[in-house]
Amino acid sequence: MNYFLYFDPGLGAMIVQAVVAVAAGVLLFSKNVMYKVKAFFGLLKKDDDTYDSIDIEEQDTDTHDQPQK
Amino acid sequence: MTNHKNNIHQASFRDPSGYMFHDGKTLRRCINPIYFPQYKKLTESGFFKTLIDNGLLIPHVETSASEEKIVITPEEIPFITNPYEWSFEQFKHAALHTLKIQKYALSKGFILKDASAYNVTFHKGKPIFIDTLSFDFYEEGTPWRAYKQFITHFFGPLVLAKYHGTEVFKMLQTHIDGIPVKLIASMLPGKSKLSSTLFTNIHLLAKMESKHSEDYKAETKVAKLSKKAQNNILESLFDYIKKLEIKEASEWGDYYNKTNYETAAFQAKKELIKAWVAPLQPQKLIDVGGNDGTFARTVLDKVPHIIVTDIDSNAVDYNYKQIQQNKETNMLPFVCDVLQPAPGIGFNNTERSSLIERLQEYAPDVTMALALIHHITLSGNVPFEKSAEFFAKFSENLIIEFPTREDSWVVSLLVRKREFINHFDFYNEANFEAGYKKFFHLEKKEAVSGTKRVLYLFKKMK
Repeated sequence: MNYFLYFDPGLGAMIVQAVVAVAAGVLLFSKNVMYKVKAFFGLLKKDDDTYDSIDIEEQDTDTHDQPQK
Repeated sequence: MTNHKNNIHQASFRDPSGYMFHDGKTLRRCINPIYFPQYKKLTESGFFKTLIDNGLLIPHVETSASEEKIVITPEEIPFITNPYEWSFEQFKHAALHTLKIQKYALSKGFILKDASAYNVTFHKGKPIFIDTLSFDFYEEGTPWRAYKQFITHFFGPLVLAKYHGTEVFKMLQTHIDGIPVKLIASMLPGKSKLSSTLFTNIHLLAKMESKHSEDYKAETKVAKLSKKAQNNILESLFDYIKKLEIKEASEWGDYYNKTNYETAAFQAKKELIKAWVAPLQPQKLIDVGGNDGTFARTVLDKVPHIIVTDIDSNAVDYNYKQIQQNKETNMLPFVCDVLQPAPGIGFNNTERSSLIERLQEYAPDVTMALALIHHITLSGNVPFEKSAEFFAKFSENLIIEFPTREDSWVVSLLVRKREFINHFDFYNEANFEAGYKKFFHLEKKEAVSGTKRVLYLFKKMK
């Protein structure tokens, strides 16, 4: 690491992420497949959590040089 | 601003990038030169602006800039709640909020260098990220350094709450840097190992942490992790957390459906509260033991900022959901047990202030305590004088409801004392008034029609 250690990230936690990512990848892949299958049969349920998705709707990051709204 | 070094905020010392300080009544943030490159890039690239425009990060303005320091002033947050005071849904949203910011940061070449639950609080009805200096440059191929912190501060407590209820959030009072991974793993049932998300993020992590805990010289090579792989971790954690639910029977959740009074009486109480609150013209109001905010909502359009606390996490959850649905911005709910309010914790016992300290600073103009005193007095065995002392610590005007001995709740609480029932003969209006008059002046008193309850308005003695 060439930047200072602000806090100890935990070595095990840094290493384990490689495995976590693989498991996550498999899960996300199967989720996408299931999503497509469900969508095909019209079985998608509406989400009742009020928190929206992980993605940010961008107007975008480079707006600072565009005219203000 | 000359002597601001003496006014450094007690929670702001861990990060060498800068610190918060009190400049008179205003809270400002000083940025040290070590963080200038990051701060400049975050500002110039429009990164801060996007997060602020999307309501994800607390807005700030640059107040001054020199070679030694940059001072920014963030928007004021009237009251800070801590993770051990959140309901399940609030905790969940704070976690999702953190992941969302990390994912966005990653796409723009930054990372969250920490994922502390204290970096999120609730403001204007929504979670908001408050540590503007938590971002750093992303270095290609590196794993997320705050990953473990995310697990110990957010993921672990949430998963534990699923199995053991929201009481586990209180463990964060004794573990300011999150619940240790090993402890989380030990508290989960064996079947949790069958979930690939729980197995990898908790059980395997716990194993790897103990395996590598003796790497004193930082010799072991840290594995590379692609950006895509890190995104997968973030997305799968997001999906998992979003689906998390708890099954907890509510102490009060269904309270208003099984109250001991009629709809008319309920309405009478609402009208009385409206009529009493209006002339006080409060800017800030707190409803202690306010359940899901039903009574606070009767004055929501007249008071700029309202806090509603309750002992029951489900009631707070229900209130929080209503806030989201109605898009209310001036109501802040959180979990609080009056008999055991959150203490001051962390380094020096001052890193996170106690509930009383925060309430004193908040200084509500009106305090409401409806249908609460019989629980404090009869379930908690707190004498009237002691509870009056508690309210006097932070209340200017106190609207308090006194259920008389004839009230069915009181009857039930008294019979449960069984052979000790005579010890509670003091529970009556006269003794209640006498106790409260040691700290307050009695301003108004009126029976709530259709009930066996009396509403009081007290003003604190100068």
